[in-house]
Amino acid sequence: MSRKVTSIMLVIVLALSLVFTAGCGTGASNGKVKVGFVFIGPIKDGGWTEAHYNGMNYLKEQLKVETMYRELVPEGPESKKAIKELINAGCNVIFTTSFGYMDPTLEAAKENPKVKFFHCSGFKTAENMSNYFGRMYEPRYLSGIVAGLKTKTNKIGYVAAYEIPEVINGINAFTLGVQSVNPNAVVKVRWSHTWIDSALEKAAAVALLDDGCDVITQHNDSTATYIAAQERGAYAIGYNLDMPSAAPKAYMTAPVWNWGVYYVQEVKAIMEGTWKAAAYQGGIKEGLLDLAPLTEVAPPEAKAKVEEARKQIIDGTLQVFKGPIKDQSGNIKVPEGKTLNYEDTMSMDMNWFVQGVEGKIEVQK
Amino acid sequence: MLRISKRTDLTKKQYIQLRLAAVIMALFTSGIFILIMGQNPAAIYFAMLQGAFGSFYGLRETIIMTIPLVITSLGISTAFKMKFWNIGAEGQIYMGAFAASYFALNHHDMPKPFLLLVMAAASIAGGGLWALIPGFFKARFGTNETLFTLMMNYIAIKWITYLQYGPWKDPNAKGFPIIAAFKETAILPGFMGIHIGLIIALALVALMHIFMYHTKKGYEISVIGESENTARYAGMNVKKIIVAAILLSGGLCGLAGMIQASGVHGTLSVDVSGGIGYTAIITTWLGQLSPALIMLVSFLFAALVQGGSYIQTVFQIPQAAASILQGMILFFVLGSEFFIQYKINFKKEGI
Amino acid sequence: MNRQTYIQLQNITKSFGTVVANSKIDLSVHKGEIHALLGENGSGKSTLMNVLSGIYTPDSGSIIIDGREVCFKSPADSIAMGIGMVHQHFKLVEVLSAKENIIIGQKGNFFINQKRLSEQIGKLARKLGLDIDPDKKVYNMSVGEKQTVEILKVLYRGAEILILDEPTAVLTPQETQKLFDIMRKMREMGCAVIIITHKLNEVMEISDRITVLRKGEAVATLDKSATNINELTELMVGRPVDLSIKRLENQKKETILKVSNLTLVDDDNVKVLQNVSFDLSKGEILGVAGVAGSGQKELCEAIAGLYEVYSGDIRYEGESLVGKTPREIIKKGVSMSFIPEDRLGMGLVASMDIVDNLLLKDYQNHKGFLIDRKPLKEKAEQLVKRLDIKTPGVNHPVKQLSGGNIQKVLLGRELDSNPHLLITAYPVRGLDIGASYTIYDLLNEQKAKDVAILYIGEDLDVLMELCDRIMVLCNGEITGIVDAAKVTKEELGLMMAGVCLEKIKGGSSYA
Repeated sequence: MSRKVTSIMLVIVLALSLVFTAGCGTGASNGKVKVGFVFIGPIKDGGWTEAHYNGMNYLKEQLKVETMYRELVPEGPESKKAIKELINAGCNVIFTTSFGYMDPTLEAAKENPKVKFFHCSGFKTAENMSNYFGRMYEPRYLSGIVAGLKTKTNKIGYVAAYEIPEVINGINAFTLGVQSVNPNAVVKVRWSHTWIDSALEKAAAVALLDDGCDVITQHNDSTATYIAAQERGAYAIGYNLDMPSAAPKAYMTAPVWNWGVYYVQEVKAIMEGTWKAAAYQGGIKEGLLDLAPLTEVAPPEAKAKVEEARKQIIDGTLQVFKGPIKDQSGNIKVPEGKTLNYEDTMSMDMNWFVQGVEGKIEVQK
Repeated sequence: MLRISKRTDLTKKQYIQLRLAAVIMALFTSGIFILIMGQNPAAIYFAMLQGAFGSFYGLRETIIMTIPLVITSLGISTAFKMKFWNIGAEGQIYMGAFAASYFALNHHDMPKPFLLLVMAAASIAGGGLWALIPGFFKARFGTNETLFTLMMNYIAIKWITYLQYGPWKDPNAKGFPIIAAFKETAILPGFMGIHIGLIIALALVALMHIFMYHTKKGYEISVIGESENTARYAGMNVKKIIVAAILLSGGLCGLAGMIQASGVHGTLSVDVSGGIGYTAIITTWLGQLSPALIMLVSFLFAALVQGGSYIQTVFQIPQAAASILQGMILFFVLGSEFFIQYKINFKKEGI
Repeated sequence: MNRQTYIQLQNITKSFGTVVANSKIDLSVHKGEIHALLGENGSGKSTLMNVLSGIYTPDSGSIIIDGREVCFKSPADSIAMGIGMVHQHFKLVEVLSAKENIIIGQKGNFFINQKRLSEQIGKLARKLGLDIDPDKKVYNMSVGEKQTVEILKVLYRGAEILILDEPTAVLTPQETQKLFDIMRKMREMGCAVIIITHKLNEVMEISDRITVLRKGEAVATLDKSATNINELTELMVGRPVDLSIKRLENQKKETILKVSNLTLVDDDNVKVLQNVSFDLSKGEILGVAGVAGSGQKELCEAIAGLYEVYSGDIRYEGESLVGKTPREIIKKGVSMSFIPEDRLGMGLVASMDIVDNLLLKDYQNHKGFLIDRKPLKEKAEQLVKRLDIKTPGVNHPVKQLSGGNIQKVLLGRELDSNPHLLITAYPVRGLDIGASYTIYDLLNEQKAKDVAILYIGEDLDVLMELCDRIMVLCNGEITGIVDAAKVTKEELGLMMAGVCLEKIKGGSSYA
């Protein structure tokens, strides 16, 4: 008997849907730009996704364009579905903001030649698909200066997500920054093996604090590490977003993304008809990245040192990965007169730590 | 005073009334929630229907989501029919996908039809054997299969995570932890964007219907589910039948894993199931273990999910709010089950 | 005799869904009276008493106790009015002593004065002539002792109206006599005793007045002295019934089943059957008597291949059945039907219909993978017609049929398989008189066809009339195998209580 009921319900549902589809079909809009974003986390994650979300709102304010987003979209085929739904809802510019969206974005770009796509943190492009990322190692280096000046134990903790080039070059840049002001300090690395999981991140931070670290930084998406530092009376450097309120007694600064700068630049070009697909990477100079203002917790002498280094980075006199750079065992990895550029730091060859890092990269085929 | 007693006398009319009441209550309560969010309930409901059925694209997504739900539910129903509470479909999906992926990644030079058949066979074996472990312990030591199968899910997921971040990591992915995409020979063919899994699912529904209601083995499974003693009394080899049924249950779940990996994701990843193994428990139950009903319920469930996804985009409501809506509708539909099984008597007060 | 009306039920109606269990029943019980409530299964006796003890609330009608109209919200209210009910299934905590069970659930001081309590209970027991050790644990007690504790529990709470629901079903004849003595004592004390039963002999023996229920209605209230068994039967069944069972004389003496020194142990390594030896001939009905749980079930299961044999041998047509699978044994023509207390435990699949239940013993004979239900449907329809099974249709789940009809399905299926050896345990359990006699006739029919029958029964009268020989089991051992035509009920009772046949013979003059 229940068979009957369910089938009746199904018929009703189908009938309703047929009636209503008549009014549907609001596909591409009339020349107006409508921008859709696909986010990996929730928009208020206090980290990676929130930084992009802030960029989206900046774009909306600056150019008065319509925007849409989907949050908590898993990587893989789910993300392609989200992209399609945004296009169906009238979006003709799509930003996808996680590495795992790369292939689905590329597929969607091929299927929708009139829509313009932007994929963050990947390496593939197409006629109508750009990719974009930044030289995070620049503000990382600056944050290393702050940590190097602050530490008393000369042990600095670094909670890191995964053994990938983006993370490794961040650790190296940070360590180089630390050693530029404090050659005796070491950076201890612990892998959390998650992008966002407060419990795991906190556990890794606590282990580092137990190990004697008095300054903690991180390459993860939550604020758990600052909170762990504050609970232990230690100090913290954040990531992604300027979040002093999360742990006011511990928080000193953070290397932060200003995605809005890029979003405005690109959408403006589309509106003006001058846009071309490209692989973009910005840094402090372009305004895409910066070090957040130092709080009162930060060492007083850091401000001038950071300011000086920042200027040199902008004018090109300071390059983070300029040789000679030695690896953990003392071998010269970057010889005198050679400098690693952005592509080098994001390549598979970035599988080693600079001298001063305590930690291991599991070597994989 | 309240007294709860088992119902035996439900008429067809009452049954329909109860189900309808549940749907209306769900729409009403969710409506209040939608109003609080500052949206128009009618517009949201309408958009959910539109998202699930209103366009070819929506319908296609609904169907693609229905396929693994149906196959997994069929697998679960085989075990449930025997009162073996297999909560481990999620893990069996992963292990099925894992076994299929082994051939997809390492033997992609085989001819396509042959490779796909090998992958399907491997996935059935993978899921089946994974289910057999708790089955064996249940038969041998009387362990609780509910907890056992549940725990096996975590092991399976961690195993796939290990592969994805370790030995099976794609060396060409710039260090990112992903497994290489399958070659074309390992991808299920499709038609108009719907992979061939649809045909497999439909065929399985028909086959399982025949199996459950018209074969000796299906009959034996039903009897064992009712009473093992009776089964022994009738001369059945109870242990053998239990093992066969659990293999079939896990095997079907494993096949669903292969279909997801090969037909939808194009590779193996920790997202390959994404909770289908748990969702399918609900659809199995609502489908009353009957293959035809399971197909219907799975389709409606997929529509609910697809509609929920659609309203997030169109109305820009948070993902959590869409999940709450889906949850409330489910709550009432499942809740009505209680009133179908039991009735509540209000006792008269007296001296 | 005290003629004061103590309990009066007026116009009681109680229905469950569409089933009217009690319809406008009037009943009055006097002080100092034993009142029997007689009726077949499903006639509404238990419902009516559950109304009186506060478990059910009637849809309409009134209860008047000692001249005051009352309305019970719960059993506690009924207990407060002095009504106590002893249920068919005892509600005792096994690990506690008699004393502790008696005071359980009582309001009182937090601390228990053990000594005073023992004294109180002892006093009460002496008053009734009960022989009970207040400190004995329930799990050490026999069924009769447990029942005594139940009665004491009720009386200790001050009950003056005692309701006994089928109290003799679990007792040996000797224990039954003891119970009757207690009931008589209570009558002397001025209590009202209501006994629910369907055993006519007992009614005639113990009661003062009898109210007969049929299909939810009270058809008559009679003085015992003014009635007889035949009249009561007719009132109960609604038509005259022939109460005699024909015993067909067994012509052949060819042994088909020979059990020798059979010993079975359970999961805890306790012997449930010990050195059991007997044989059974073609065309013979061998009855098995014994209080519940004396090893009857295990014996049946061992022959059917469902219970592992510890030692000894079971030979069927000269071939040992030990180690054979149930399937092989079924194929040899051995049929077993055990009706457990809940009627559905083994043999039938509750949620399946009659067709699928017939399939249970038949499906393995089908060729190939598939099942063909068509011939079985015809068979099911024939069965329904032949045995007069009341069902909306052959596709109706058997659990929704009444007990008697369920049993007819089970027995019908087993007889249909044309067995050479038929093992049937409690086939009339809970059946009404008419249905019971149908089943006895069916068994006799099989006997005439030279089928050997092992009949496990409860009712000693029936065993004595139907069977050729009776084997008595007590605690897993045979206390005697006797000629059914020559044995007396008292002798059977003694054997059920564990006294060997040799002893009885030695002590009495007849052989």
